[in-house]
Amino acid sequence: MRKRWFLLLVVFAMVMAACGGDDDTGGETTTTAAGGETTTTAAAETTTTAASGETTTTAEAMDEVTLRWRTRPDNDEEAGVYQAISDTLTGQLEGITLAYEPGGQETAGYQQNLLTELAAGTAPDVFWLPGTDIADFATRGVILDLRSLADASGHNDADFYPGPMFHLTFNPETGNTGETLWGLPRDVSAFGLYLNLDLIAEAGVDDPRELAAAGNWNWDTFREVADGIGALGGGIVGYGQSSWWGPYGYWLNAAGGGFFNEDRTACGLDSDGSIAGMTALQELYAGGSVVPWGEDAEAPFRAGTLGMFQNGRWATPGIRTVDFNWDVVKLPEGPAGPSNWLFWGAYVVNASSEHPEEAWQLVQALTTAEVQAQVAELGANIPSRVSQEALDAFLTFTPPDNNQAFLDGLAENPATEGPLWAGSWPEYVSVMDAEIGNVVTGATSIDDFAANICSLTAPAFSS
Amino acid sequence: MTTEVLASRPATRGDAWWLTPLVIWQAVYAAAAALATGLVVARTGIVITGTPRLVAIGILGLITLFAALSVPWIIRRNHRGRLAAFLLNLVLAVGAGFLTLQETNVFNGLDALGGTFGRGIPFLALMAVGWLIAGWAGKVTGPTARALRLAARWLVIIGLALLLIRVGLLPGVWTFLTRLVQPAALTPAAVAVVASLWTRILLSDEPNPIFRSTKAQLEIMDGLFFVSPNVLGFLAFLAGPLAFSLFVSFTDWDGLSEAAWVGISNYTDLVTDPFFLKSLRNILYFGVLAVPLSVLPALGLAALLNTKMPGMKFFRALYFLPAVAGVVGVALIWKQLYNATVGYINYGLVRLWDLINLLPGLDLAPPQPQWLSSPSTAMLSMVIVFSFSTIGLNTVLFLAGLQSVPGDLYEAAELDGAGPWAKFRRITIPMLAPTTVFVVITTTILALQLFSEPFILNAPQLSPNGPGNATLTPVIYLYQNAFERFNQGYASAIGWALFLLIFAITIVYFRTQRDRGVLST
Repeated sequence: MRKRWFLLLVVFAMVMAACGGDDDTGGETTTTAAGGETTTTAAAETTTTAASGETTTTAEAMDEVTLRWRTRPDNDEEAGVYQAISDTLTGQLEGITLAYEPGGQETAGYQQNLLTELAAGTAPDVFWLPGTDIADFATRGVILDLRSLADASGHNDADFYPGPMFHLTFNPETGNTGETLWGLPRDVSAFGLYLNLDLIAEAGVDDPRELAAAGNWNWDTFREVADGIGALGGGIVGYGQSSWWGPYGYWLNAAGGGFFNEDRTACGLDSDGSIAGMTALQELYAGGSVVPWGEDAEAPFRAGTLGMFQNGRWATPGIRTVDFNWDVVKLPEGPAGPSNWLFWGAYVVNASSEHPEEAWQLVQALTTAEVQAQVAELGANIPSRVSQEALDAFLTFTPPDNNQAFLDGLAENPATEGPLWAGSWPEYVSVMDAEIGNVVTGATSIDDFAANICSLTAPAFSS
Repeated sequence: MTTEVLASRPATRGDAWWLTPLVIWQAVYAAAAALATGLVVARTGIVITGTPRLVAIGILGLITLFAALSVPWIIRRNHRGRLAAFLLNLVLAVGAGFLTLQETNVFNGLDALGGTFGRGIPFLALMAVGWLIAGWAGKVTGPTARALRLAARWLVIIGLALLLIRVGLLPGVWTFLTRLVQPAALTPAAVAVVASLWTRILLSDEPNPIFRSTKAQLEIMDGLFFVSPNVLGFLAFLAGPLAFSLFVSFTDWDGLSEAAWVGISNYTDLVTDPFFLKSLRNILYFGVLAVPLSVLPALGLAALLNTKMPGMKFFRALYFLPAVAGVVGVALIWKQLYNATVGYINYGLVRLWDLINLLPGLDLAPPQPQWLSSPSTAMLSMVIVFSFSTIGLNTVLFLAGLQSVPGDLYEAAELDGAGPWAKFRRITIPMLAPTTVFVVITTTILALQLFSEPFILNAPQLSPNGPGNATLTPVIYLYQNAFERFNQGYASAIGWALFLLIFAITIVYFRTQRDRGVLST
């Protein structure tokens, strides 16, 4: 009996200790903000606060608003930078205490948690969303239209790349852009071709950077370089890319096609430009020196057996660890001229937040040139502001030496990643992925693809 | 079952001081539940939206009904009133208790405790020293033993106290108390205390004569109280969500907005959904390959590991390793092995072919399968990873079954001249039949729920669906509908359809084995 009571006492003591439980970082953060609270108490106050506005008493008594915010870092190092930014902003934003929550590092886990928390009413006040997801959240009323707050604060949409702002200001009720504001872009990104300079030199082919500088970097010269590298033999391959929609979408866009029609209300995969791009891609994979479709191209690039690897800026931190000479060149021009993607994600405000004005302040603070430079310094992101200050800072974050290649990609006719306001993007991409894979691997002919693809994807527009 | 009334003494209103307060409490309980129901219905004060709102209205409505009914039952000294009040107060005490812990931030604090517990580890070592000294004290006698036991006890107590203080007991108590005095925490805490007291009183012997409770009725109450932790957990975390998902499967709920009833259309849509049908074909193909490959090698391994050879314990642990390794880690390693250009499997094939080509006149090109990126091999790759992960546990199960086979059966068979194969076929396999049924059923259920392997092995080059949707499984399709396409209703219908498939296969297999006499009825 005494043992039972003793154990009960221990359990109770642990529960009591839990009330004061806090990690060191959070404790320091909150202590600074709460101004005078003991570390334990203040830190615990932070964790109590929910998006629904259950701010804790101590914070309320001091007129301190606590905001939870979340983004999806690519790795622990990036999570550390966001935590540092959160700590800094807590000191700068008067009357606001920030609690940063790194989301899952995989997209699926991030979205799963977010949806569950939104349904339960426990989602953070401010959170990050991929560009393709904005429509799904905006049309369901779970993110706040910040337009009135933005207008009152002197915000200017033109400070950011116009592509993301088109979607972030789109009004699904009127079909017009510029009428709403669903958030501000955290960062942007574009594709580049990562080059193994040692293999290029060994193969004796033209340096793609020089070809690009001479205005002679197109699909023909690209094939020559790729096949020249592949001719080295011994498992060396000229070119590799992933098989998700971004890399193959480039081929369609650069040939003058695209996934959708002009106003993104119907399928555009059977247009002449799209079919031309598909044909080029199919020919490349049928006869070129390429990593097989669907296989991981990053592994052979890092192993030094791949000459050119198409990937986004986010691959840079990983590539920085390879032990051969490398650089980046912009993607080759297609028949319709230069092309690339403009990838982006945005900070949005939870529609259930009890502190929308403070949340808007936070969104603004998180997207200043200074904060974006801090994140971009890690190598994975490009600032979403078009200010010269932000671009100049980005160019200093080497390697690669040719950071300009990414900025060129963003400047030269990029197709903007975006949600499908008129349908379901996940449904559309699910059909498109499989069908394009079938064409590239030869399971489906180009003619069959052209004849059927838009009827196969049509259900996505009725969702 | 007896119907003996424990006390036949007629009860009157004045028999117990608590009777009138109980009636008032139950009336207040009913009124508060009705008010909460009304607030949820009117979306005022308690703002719950979507399907959770309907669920809340249903639960609150039931509580209101039974709380209201309990009042006249108690006044009439009917045992049903006692039972209803007991159950309602038990639920209220637990619910209000959890709410108190939530409001005092204990749950979040427990999370944070994981981060701060490291500070107390040195004192944990102090406690371990005390424990060792106590063990040492058992080996000596006399005053030395008493002194050692005393020292050990104080070391443990001091170590525990220091550990608790170091991980934040004192500020924790203070934080808890400061939060507890806030109305948001104090109110549910007070309700929890009062409801606990009523639960205690109603469960005691005192009300027996008043409500004329029979022994059988009291046994039911005791039983309900005894199983209540399990039942409440079961209702909250299993039956509740299951019933909820069944309801959702008949709606178009997107997880965020109000749900609309769509009848069985989600189920009828499944019948014509090419992706769902493809996922079913894929998973049946997977199951046909994966189950035998997870069971038969395990049986063979178990037979080998059951022999009395040196080092068998090491090999038993070795083969069990994949079962305890995380599926994510295992899948990531296999992903590297499978890489068509720089993976070890294809590299091994090249080297093997180099050896073969040493033979005169041969110049064969080595096969370089695209394990994950070719529709013809993608699912086979999943089968290999699944079997690798499952064989270990199945081996252990078979090993346990083998060790329960009586040795005299083998001795008798040897006397009759049976060889190793005859003994295995005529004794081992029949005697292992119940274990085999269990292993096959559990492996089949696991196989039909395939999710992690394609999810990890395909990323990020391909979607989890794999090349040409070759690795699309029902659970992956469920996940995509629930969390990528906002089709919670359709996803729930997929879940229930998969349940029916698994249930049907299990029942058919179970009955087949029972009819063959493998299982007792």
